[in-house]
Amino acid sequence: MSVIYSLIGLLLPFEWTEFSYMKNALLAVLLITPLFGLVGVMIVNNKMSFFSDALGHSALTGIAIGVLMGVDNYLVSMMGFSLLFALCISAVMKSETSSADTIIGVFSSTGLALGIVLLSASGGFAKYSGYLIGDILTVQPEEIRMLALILAAVVLLWGFFFNKLMLVSMNTDLAASKGIRVRLVEKFFVILVAVIVTVSIKWVGVLIINSLLVLPAASARNLAKSMRSYHFTAIGISLFSGVSGLIISYYAGTAAGGTIVLVAAVIFFITYFLNQARAKS
Amino acid sequence: MKKLTAVVLAAVIFFCTAGCAHRTEKPIRFRVVTSFYPLYIMALNITDGVSDVQVDNMAGQQAGCLHDYQLRSQDMKNIEQADVFVINGAGMENFMDKVTAQLPKLRVIDSSKGITLVKDESGEENPHTWVSITNAIRQVSNIAEGLAEADPANTAVYRKNAEEYEAKLSLLRKKMHEELSSISNRDIITFHEAFPYFAEEFGLNIVRVVNREPDSQPSARELAETIRLVRASGIKTIFAEPQYPESAANIIAKESGAAVYSLDPAVTGENKKDAYLTAMENNLTVLKKALK
Repeated sequence: MSVIYSLIGLLLPFEWTEFSYMKNALLAVLLITPLFGLVGVMIVNNKMSFFSDALGHSALTGIAIGVLMGVDNYLVSMMGFSLLFALCISAVMKSETSSADTIIGVFSSTGLALGIVLLSASGGFAKYSGYLIGDILTVQPEEIRMLALILAAVVLLWGFFFNKLMLVSMNTDLAASKGIRVRLVEKFFVILVAVIVTVSIKWVGVLIINSLLVLPAASARNLAKSMRSYHFTAIGISLFSGVSGLIISYYAGTAAGGTIVLVAAVIFFITYFLNQARAKS
Repeated sequence: MKKLTAVVLAAVIFFCTAGCAHRTEKPIRFRVVTSFYPLYIMALNITDGVSDVQVDNMAGQQAGCLHDYQLRSQDMKNIEQADVFVINGAGMENFMDKVTAQLPKLRVIDSSKGITLVKDESGEENPHTWVSITNAIRQVSNIAEGLAEADPANTAVYRKNAEEYEAKLSLLRKKMHEELSSISNRDIITFHEAFPYFAEEFGLNIVRVVNREPDSQPSARELAETIRLVRASGIKTIFAEPQYPESAANIIAKESGAAVYSLDPAVTGENKKDAYLTAMENNLTVLKKALK
């Protein structure tokens, strides 16, 4: 880590990189944002942006369960609950009793309400409100290592599964006729989203995690001309808003997560108008 | 339809009997409800040995300070059934106007009555009065007087208990003054605005308070400013509180080379009579170690 620190200090000799908590935050942003850009593309493609929001909300219940069971590391209980939650949502959606957005809405509010009820029962919700906004400044070196591993794993999996995922997202019948196990691929993606959301919720926060997933991909969709450029633009926009948001938050004295999302939102509107202008000409 | 009626009837009967059972269960003559933990400990000491008086704590023992506390319906019920409601006052129970609006007949003991309040830069009064032992003694005597007035049958016991507890407190205060008089380093940094009264009492100088709002994290800039301040002023100690996560304190300590110690405002803990005394004894040990 010390090599990376001194490298950052060498390449970015600015005031905001003076302290190692900012270096840690920068590294975390450099790892989380490409991850979010990449997965966000598929989330936006599959019209699942509401789904990832529900997963974010379920993390609160995961924390509450962790508190009740006296676990120190909430990651385990959050991960367990959000995986269960994700599989439940996709199972109920398969039954096709109501439309997808209704089902996800039901689960999303259940996750949030259950979290609030359990946390308030165990002595005050206010203590955990940090999870709503997230705090990227407290990220630890070993957590950065974990993020790096996850990013590597997701990139690898993406390489293997992308074509299948893409086909499934476009046309399930066609995918099935090509011998793709549709259910399995869908479950794989759902689990992947659950893992990524859960791992990063502590730093990004329940309230804004979904914006970070959806906004860069949505902006990239306005600009991209091919699937490849769609991916790279999304990752680029995600990285840019992450790093610039972090720097702005340092000088403006604002919360990092919210500032990052705000930058991403501004980019979205710029791309929206660019796209409009292009369509007219 | 019949089924539905049966279910409704069953529910009504169940709740009625449950309610009745609840009432007959406790033949308590006089009920004291305290708003939160430090007052609960004081009330426990004052009512010690009085058999038909029950003391309840409204917020749980782990709830901590009542900043942003959300009243639950259970709390309202608790207060409603109380003969007296003991509050800290000084703005700690910011939900009190909602309570008094609904329960105009409730007898409230404001324990911080007569204490000179410290104000921060924005002019807001600091409610953490009990962290100073002198104020705690004052609060104990206020509560005891209030109880004596509300429950004349036990006036003598309340006064006697309060005197004994106050004696213990002032003995501890004397000990802390003696042992802290020799420390050379008096500049400290704390988290969350809990220690101005404590610092005033023992002549400590709070150079900076990080994280005024207890449940939010300081921004990157605030952290950087604090680190520079610690480096420039040569402060060696940062005091975190056991009730709040230490992550920000650890960041500042790591960057500036200062050490993190835990100072307890006695706002959560075990439901024991001596909890406040024990917490302050521990604080004394920590301070001696940290500031020598």
